Amino acid sequence: MTELALRYARFTGRHPIVLTVPRGGVTRAHLPDSQAKAHLVTALLKARAASGEELELLGAATAELNAKRRDRLRRRVGAVSPVVGLINNLNAWENISLPAAYHGSPPLERVAQIAQEVLQRFGADPQAFLARLPDDLDSLERKIAAFVRLLVAAPELAVFDALDEGLSREESARVSGFEAEYRARQPAGTLLYVDIKEA
Amino acid sequence: MLQPLREIEGGIKLSLNVAGRLGQLRKPPILESFLRQVYFTGVTAATGVVLRASGLGALIIAVTLDVLDADIDLAVKILLWVVFREIGPLAAAVVVILRTGTAISAEMAMMRVSGQTRALRYLAINLYDYLVVPRVAAVMLATMALTFYIQALAVLGALVLSPFIIDASFMELAGRFFELFAPVDLYYSTVKSLLFGFAIAACCCWHGLNPPELSQNAVPKVITRAVTQSAMLVLTINAVFAYIVFGILFFGLVTAKV
Repeated sequence: MTELALRYARFTGRHPIVLTVPRGGVTRAHLPDSQAKAHLVTALLKARAASGEELELLGAATAELNAKRRDRLRRRVGAVSPVVGLINNLNAWENISLPAAYHGSPPLERVAQIAQEVLQRFGADPQAFLARLPDDLDSLERKIAAFVRLLVAAPELAVFDALDEGLSREESARVSGFEAEYRARQPAGTLLYVDIKEA
Repeated sequence: MLQPLREIEGGIKLSLNVAGRLGQLRKPPILESFLRQVYFTGVTAATGVVLRASGLGALIIAVTLDVLDADIDLAVKILLWVVFREIGPLAAAVVVILRTGTAISAEMAMMRVSGQTRALRYLAINLYDYLVVPRVAAVMLATMALTFYIQALAVLGALVLSPFIIDASFMELAGRFFELFAPVDLYYSTVKSLLFGFAIAACCCWHGLNPPELSQNAVPKVITRAVTQSAMLVLTINAVFAYIVFGILFFGLVTAKV
């Protein structure tokens, strides 16, 4: 039997949702509306199911977790999502390095190395990019910064929430490279794309 | 009725949380935030107060002598008791409320409204550690420094400029000032300015993090509430502190029974 990274069910709302994501794979979830999408992403990032929801995450039934274990579980999940945006008064480098500097790992030299490699891979000049404030970055650049921050955290489950939203066709083609980059750094990681089902 | 109780409860919780988590200042991003706030509150505010503070001391001596027909002794006493003990810390508190209090409450409210505080939470960053602790600690330190700065400039200004207005030399005024000066004056203004800084920062942080609604319209409301309540807190602390230390309240209208 395939081991699951995630089992999520939501019984409230107009459309009941049941979602299973096998561990180590790539899954694309198309949800009926933006509310359902927001509920799913929030539940994953909080590692907590709201009422009318069920969530098993990375082998743990989230309803039974105490605060400490929930906190540990949350750190194993990351997202490139409007829900986890950049902090406006910090430049791109400070945004990328903030979680590492706060939690004390990985070392900032390692963060700088990851940032340099990934930014170059996506065609940005690291020095100029990292010095800019989020307001000076366009949609694609914001997503790249959020992606670098995600790679630094090295989550076992990475959620790409509406990755193409607000991007041109050419830019969408560039962000499609996120998957390969994540896979190269987290070979056993699980990737979940979340989008709204087009009518 | 519930709102003020909620605010008091929230303010107390926030204050206790800050007091218990000061050790978090060792973390690099928190320390950086602390230093930035010290720079903004203490250093950049200081440049604007130089002339005003030095003029304040001279003005008080000149007005005292003129209106009360006082001698040098009384003028220096007033310089010490009014400028040093009361107006110095209050002037610093006003500068901090107007410059830093408004900035902190607006910044926090914007972060809350735009979902940036939620993003910090999802990154497992404690909001109190990252946003509140460095600001409260920095504003306390900066308010104290700004108070000393204003006091020093006001006293120096009075001693240097007064000989042009009244018939007294710099040495006469300075000698009398240092005769009357007691260490308690310094302790008094130090503790008071630290309390002012704490009250202002804690109040502004609390209001910033608890806007009445999650929309852009909430930001000006947050600033108004934060500034008004900070000013009220400062005045209350000032009155209570004066009563505790010197046994007088409201300029002597209420006096402690000894």
